[in-house]
Amino acid sequence: MSEVSRYRFGVMLVLWSGLVQPLSAAPLNEALKPLPPVPTLDPAKVELGRRLFNEPRLSVNNTLSCASCHHLETGGADNKPFSMGFDGKPVAINTPSVFNASLNFKQFWNGRVDTLQAQIEQVVISPAEMGSDWNTVVQNLSALPDYQAAFKQTYADGVTAANVQNALATYEQTLLTPNSRFDQYLLGNTEILTTQEKYGYQRFKDYGCIACHQGINIGGNMFQKFGVMGDYFKARGNPVEADLGRYLVTQDEEDRHVFKVPSLRNVAVTAPYFHDASAKTLEEAVDVMFKYQLGRNPNQEDKDLIVQFLKTLTGEWAGKPL
Amino acid sequence: MTTQSRRRFTQVVLGLVTLLLASTLVFLYLKAARDQTASYTQSRDLIRQLQQLNAQWDSEVLKARIAITHNYDPLVTPLTEMTRIWAELNSRDTYHNPTDLSSWQATQAAYQTAMQEKARLVDQFKSHNAVLRNSLAFLPTAEDDIQAQFNRLDDEGRLQLQGVATDTYDLLLSSLEFAQVTSDDRAADILVGLGKLATNKEQLPSEFQGPVELLSNHISLILREQPVVNNLLERIADVPVAERLDDLTTHLDQDQQAADRIDHQYHRYLLIFSTLLVAMLLYLAVRLLRSFAEINRVNRQLQAANETLEQRVERRTQQLKDAQSELLDSARQAGMAEIATNVLHNVGNVLNSVNISADLVTRKLRSSKALGLGKAMQLINEHKADLGTFLTEDEKGKLLPGYLNQLVDAIAVEQQGMTDELAQLSKSVDHIKDIVSTQQSYAGAATLLEPVHISDLMEDALRMNAGALSRHHVTVVKEYAPVPEILADKHRLLLIMVNLISNAKYAMSNLNDRPRQMTLKVQALADNTLQISVKDDGEGIPAENMTRIFTHGFTTRKEGHGFGLHSCALAAVEMSGQLSAHSDGPGLGAIFTLTIPMTPAGSPA
Repeated sequence: MSEVSRYRFGVMLVLWSGLVQPLSAAPLNEALKPLPPVPTLDPAKVELGRRLFNEPRLSVNNTLSCASCHHLETGGADNKPFSMGFDGKPVAINTPSVFNASLNFKQFWNGRVDTLQAQIEQVVISPAEMGSDWNTVVQNLSALPDYQAAFKQTYADGVTAANVQNALATYEQTLLTPNSRFDQYLLGNTEILTTQEKYGYQRFKDYGCIACHQGINIGGNMFQKFGVMGDYFKARGNPVEADLGRYLVTQDEEDRHVFKVPSLRNVAVTAPYFHDASAKTLEEAVDVMFKYQLGRNPNQEDKDLIVQFLKTLTGEWAGKPL
Repeated sequence: MTTQSRRRFTQVVLGLVTLLLASTLVFLYLKAARDQTASYTQSRDLIRQLQQLNAQWDSEVLKARIAITHNYDPLVTPLTEMTRIWAELNSRDTYHNPTDLSSWQATQAAYQTAMQEKARLVDQFKSHNAVLRNSLAFLPTAEDDIQAQFNRLDDEGRLQLQGVATDTYDLLLSSLEFAQVTSDDRAADILVGLGKLATNKEQLPSEFQGPVELLSNHISLILREQPVVNNLLERIADVPVAERLDDLTTHLDQDQQAADRIDHQYHRYLLIFSTLLVAMLLYLAVRLLRSFAEINRVNRQLQAANETLEQRVERRTQQLKDAQSELLDSARQAGMAEIATNVLHNVGNVLNSVNISADLVTRKLRSSKALGLGKAMQLINEHKADLGTFLTEDEKGKLLPGYLNQLVDAIAVEQQGMTDELAQLSKSVDHIKDIVSTQQSYAGAATLLEPVHISDLMEDALRMNAGALSRHHVTVVKEYAPVPEILADKHRLLLIMVNLISNAKYAMSNLNDRPRQMTLKVQALADNTLQISVKDDGEGIPAENMTRIFTHGFTTRKEGHGFGLHSCALAAVEMSGQLSAHSDGPGLGAIFTLTIPMTPAGSPA
């Protein structure tokens, strides 16, 4: 075979693959980044984490599991403004999605912990949420031979609080929602978005939403004051402690009303919005953002376009769109 | 005992020295092998990574500051990475010098404090910078919006509001300048501009209110946030994370140097120890070489001694050989002497017979009747004259002729006896001659085979002993089987038979309670052998003597020389035969049996 014919063959191969596989085009270099692949983790730990995620024994009265509030079929949160604690009373803050939580730079609305383990640790002992304590949890789990065996197989020291948290955190690292249409777009399949949606993305960038909602999780990598361009809480009224945001963590006046910028992934299926669940719909939320965060006054068309764009951020879980 | 205890002592000392050396070696090895270089290198590597990430973090902050990137993930990932690396660094057994541990921990704490501070400031920077960048990016658009409103006015209105437009534009410019060079003067300018804008806003138509308000809001935000962002940047730059990392590095370096010093020290000890060991080894080698030399020397000596010994052995062997040959010679001479003795013995035996014969003849001669003849002749001579008368008349004369007749008869008998006796004598002399010639035949080791009648030979042997046998009153019983004439060495056979008969006679010399009887037996055996036995009823042979009776010099008789049986046995062997003895015990007699090959005469010998 001559050099030339091989070269020609190569060219033909490239052309052919270019024709039938538009997906293999180069990823776009944008401020928004595609979702990373699900990490390869110890399957035993993942499985154990999955069981624990659905384990009501984590709560003090065996009523609540993680899955009680974080519905994996519907966006990784519930559709209530405030989820019910173990005692049937609503918690103080809207439940954020568990999906892609591992990509957030900190956990909780006020970012009071850095890791998923710490987040799990706090939720279990929170008097408003699961209301238990770790000794009890470890005791309860140890009492079950099933768990005992599973932990023994997976961890050298069997059932411990750290291992329960580790297993859950490991499982949660697998809770990513890949294959959203926007991710496919970012990966180079530019045909997958409609013109309207592309316009919406353009507006998203032009109006500066992207200033805070960027990176791999489209948010979740910085704190921001709620009400940069106006006093949101005064306008909303009825202030509560949770509105203080990061101030509760740092006691720094700087951090009053400062929250972690939430991820916009799957935003279309995680209503209601904001820590106070004040926005029932995506449109409302977009309005609030424009008014208090961006200080801009866009026309309705642009807002619609942005909402259309936001709906392309919905990914898949277990092979099914959320 | 002392040698043993000293050896045990040496062994114990040797064991102790070995143990001491081994433990020193192990100790030094462990001390020297506790090499923290790898750990140090890894720690240094991790700190270098931290420094790199810190620098990267700084650069990402600056990139965000100048709005090169809108993605804030790069401002998060360095922190995550640094936290991870820090955890890894802490999980290592980095520090080795416990005296300085508190200072190390203080440096670590200082780093963590600095990191926390930096992380907090970077978080704040992200928040403020995002908002600031957003507003700055919005400014031209906001201005465009206002300009658009202006453009929508007619010329007159536009002219009227020209000042406002210019003021707005100036405000925009000073805000953008403020973003580049933040100074109090410019801040004051902007404040004045904002005030003007607020005043101007009153004059503007209502459709201007919204855009102007937005613009002034954003400019206020810039005015508020830009110093904050600048301040944050300065503070971020001031956070001594890099310095703390340098401190950690310095600390590790010092630690490593200290460890190196100790290491060197132990290396030196190890070197000294090795030198010591080498010296010992050399000493031992020298000793070993010396030992080898000694061993070689001793070996050589041994070899030399060996050779000398061999030579001596050879010499001795030679001497022995010589001695042996001498012995052989003497043995030969002794043998010859023995043979001579033997011969003499046999000759003695025969001389006995000669003596007897001579004695007999002498006695016969002495008592010869011939003397009577002399007396008769004297009577005749006295009566010479009257011989007739005397013979016829004289009393005595008358008896004389009768006497003479009787005398003739007696003398004739006498002569006959003496002739017989002399014949016997000459026969004995012949035997002596034969014995001597036998001796000569011994000397020549030759064997003369001649046809022999065994019964004649037996008779000869008996005759040779006849005197002794008759003296001892021995009855001889002869049991001769008819045997053909054979070829044999007559003299040897005779020698053996004479000896055996003589022995048997002697064996019975002390026998008084019963008749002394000797049995001679000749018979031919089936396998072409001839058996001749001499049996006596004498004293017998004790079992303990049975094995010795044929040896040279063995005898039970006072006057014996012990040659007889020995020479008989030898003679039997020389005739290809065998002489054996048997006795049922002392006092039960004995039987000597000679077995020789039977070669009938006339067959080719």
